[in-house]
Amino acid sequence: MEYSELLRPLPWTTPTILCLVILALPFVSFLLMAAAPDSSRRLMSWVSSAFILIAACISVYLLLSVWAQPASHTRFDWFSIASMPQITAGILLDINAALMLVVVNVISFLVHVYSTAYMKDDAGYKKYFAFLGLFTFSMLGIVLADNLLIIFVFWELVGLSSYLLISHWYQKDSASKAAKKAFIVNRVGDAGFLIGLAILWVQFNTLDIEALKVLMSQSTLAGGEWTTTLGYVLNADWLTVAGIGLFLGAMGKSAQFPLQVWLPDAMEGPTPVSALIHAATMVAAGVFLMARVFVLLDIDALTFVATIGAITAFMGAIAALTQHDIKKVLAYSTISQLGYMLMGIGVGAYDAALFHLFTHAFFKACLFLAAGSVIYALHEFEHDTGIKFDAQDMRNMGGLRKKLPFTFMAYGVSALALIGIPFFSGFLSKDALLSGAYAWADVMSGGGFSIYYLIPDLGFLTVILTALYMFRQLLLVFFGEFRIAAQHPGHSLTEVKEVPLVMKAVLTVLGIMSLGLIWSINPLDHSHSWFLGALKAPTILTPGFDIDWQPRLIELTLANHIKVTVISMTMIVIGALTGWFLYKPGSAYTKGYFQRKNTVNKLQALSYNNWHLDEAYKLIIEKPVLWIANGLSAFEKRVIDKAIDGFAVINVIIAHLIGWIDRMVVDGFVNFSVFFAGRIGVMTKSLQGGRVQSYILIAVFGIVIMIFWIIW
Amino acid sequence: MAIEHYFILSAILFCIGMAVIITKKNAIVVLMGVELILNAANINFIAISQLDNIKLGGQFFALFVIVVAAAEAAVGLAIILKIYKYFSTTNLDEINQLKG
Repeated sequence: MEYSELLRPLPWTTPTILCLVILALPFVSFLLMAAAPDSSRRLMSWVSSAFILIAACISVYLLLSVWAQPASHTRFDWFSIASMPQITAGILLDINAALMLVVVNVISFLVHVYSTAYMKDDAGYKKYFAFLGLFTFSMLGIVLADNLLIIFVFWELVGLSSYLLISHWYQKDSASKAAKKAFIVNRVGDAGFLIGLAILWVQFNTLDIEALKVLMSQSTLAGGEWTTTLGYVLNADWLTVAGIGLFLGAMGKSAQFPLQVWLPDAMEGPTPVSALIHAATMVAAGVFLMARVFVLLDIDALTFVATIGAITAFMGAIAALTQHDIKKVLAYSTISQLGYMLMGIGVGAYDAALFHLFTHAFFKACLFLAAGSVIYALHEFEHDTGIKFDAQDMRNMGGLRKKLPFTFMAYGVSALALIGIPFFSGFLSKDALLSGAYAWADVMSGGGFSIYYLIPDLGFLTVILTALYMFRQLLLVFFGEFRIAAQHPGHSLTEVKEVPLVMKAVLTVLGIMSLGLIWSINPLDHSHSWFLGALKAPTILTPGFDIDWQPRLIELTLANHIKVTVISMTMIVIGALTGWFLYKPGSAYTKGYFQRKNTVNKLQALSYNNWHLDEAYKLIIEKPVLWIANGLSAFEKRVIDKAIDGFAVINVIIAHLIGWIDRMVVDGFVNFSVFFAGRIGVMTKSLQGGRVQSYILIAVFGIVIMIFWIIW
Repeated sequence: MAIEHYFILSAILFCIGMAVIITKKNAIVVLMGVELILNAANINFIAISQLDNIKLGGQFFALFVIVVAAAEAAVGLAIILKIYKYFSTTNLDEINQLKG
């Protein structure tokens, strides 16, 4: 097909115009918050919440209108380079973009509302809401763009706003360091993203997703060479490299091994930000990107994605086991769940991965906001009693079930959803994911036993760990005795107060979204979910892809379903029972928990320090880089600086010489001419001395000369 | 008497007048030098007129010169009087306002 036909402008339609409105609303909110005077900040924050609410309503409307409809696509020419095909821009609203719009806008709205209470007395209130708007805008840009280039632009904007929000309390050294770390680690992934884009551009001369799909399906793989209809030829390996490159971008944003180190540190940001960005939306952007380019991935790239996803899921869950900071547990849990989603993409369970993205977005946002409520309540308690303690450290908590019953309810519901208990949303999506992974291993190993089974096995192991760390957290935070108060008996009269109504309302909405009934009529079987009914995995279009692969996956997924459910239920029971016996009120662990050190032995240190990845990076990257930098700095001081100094000395000498010549020769000449003119002046001046007699003498002398001249 | 003697006398008189004009400081003496030069010219006119017996042009010219000299002396003295009033001196070295 001709490029002019592939990239032809497509007209604006009502849905795409509405998308543009949705995109504009948070941006306007950002500008308004930035321009508003500080005195009106409370009012303005409600105005911007209202903006996001409007956007959320429009996105729900759009979701209903695109349901079971073909995608709306609007495209226009952006610019062109020389004889290359047009660079286009536009909006692509398909079903998963519409779902993502709803998730982003709804959670963003809830976080806005929650923040009006949570951040009430914060000095950076205005800045905070402005950046929330900017973040929402950039996130929506990723969701709506029809072009990988524009996705990349918004991708970077999301990175920027995440950086700005993590460093909200920039006076804290740890916060500004965490922000820098998040930004830099994301750059590493983005470098891979750019490589992926470059390969696609070289082969297809366009980055428009719809056009890429057509061109990809028309390209051929033969004899180890990847040929496009334009006649561009690359080695077949580059097809895999392109997929892995795009995935590298997703690895950075979605905190996948080995780039997951930034996410736990990002918890330095305000808790609502952690809920919005580092649990529900931004980290899901990687998964969303993978879903957008799903059909462009080949089997090797998919296997790579699945492997990394499974490893990350397992590593994250292990790291969550021994954390003492309430938000860190959730952060590692997020890493683990994102690993699940990408594993889902990798094993071809596209629909299940997106399903998990959506259910996770709600229950994890709920968990984070509930954790935020706990922190908020404990801060108030700290303020009332005057006891100094870390309000995020679980060693200071315990027994909060009776003091914060509402928060406990919300926390409990979403934690059960995260663990994957039936009747909660997490059960459905995780079941779908694991069924898909299991079916994938069956397909890949062709009936026999093979290493591919490690992937679903890691997934099942993670189920045990998930149950274990969530039960641990629930028991340590909400059961037993309130440890910090027990240590300071003088304050027994001061009570921990429940959080404001606004925060409760937000938790209620999110808690309801964590229930299984919302997502499926039959809460025990994911295949009855309305959600999966609407989302069907698109057919993979990469050349050389086995056409039977996807149908066999679907078939086996259905066949394996009961088996997988039973296995994962067993795993949950194992994990939950272990958790109960280890951390139940009155157990040895909880008794000594208040005084417990961060780590007791090597294994715990491995988990607590997130597999020592930070230390490893220090050793492998930071140390050599610093060593090289120091070497270069010494080289510069000793060699380059010396050379420059020498050059300067030579210059000074030459300058002195020239100065001497200037003074003696040039100035001398000038002075001489001045002197000469002066003397002439003095001499001629005496002729006009005002003495009449000398005039006469000269006149006579002149006449005598004339006479002589005439006579001769 | 040969005509050359008159010329020599006239030349001597001219030189004396010239010397007086150039060297003397008093303006009145300088004016006297001017009179001497005029009379040196007169002697020349008279001497030349002996070669022209009929027309007597030279002698008339001498008479004119005497008249003009009288007028000039009157004007010159008046100027000197004015200068004296203004500068309180007739020393030409001190009257040097034209000095460049």
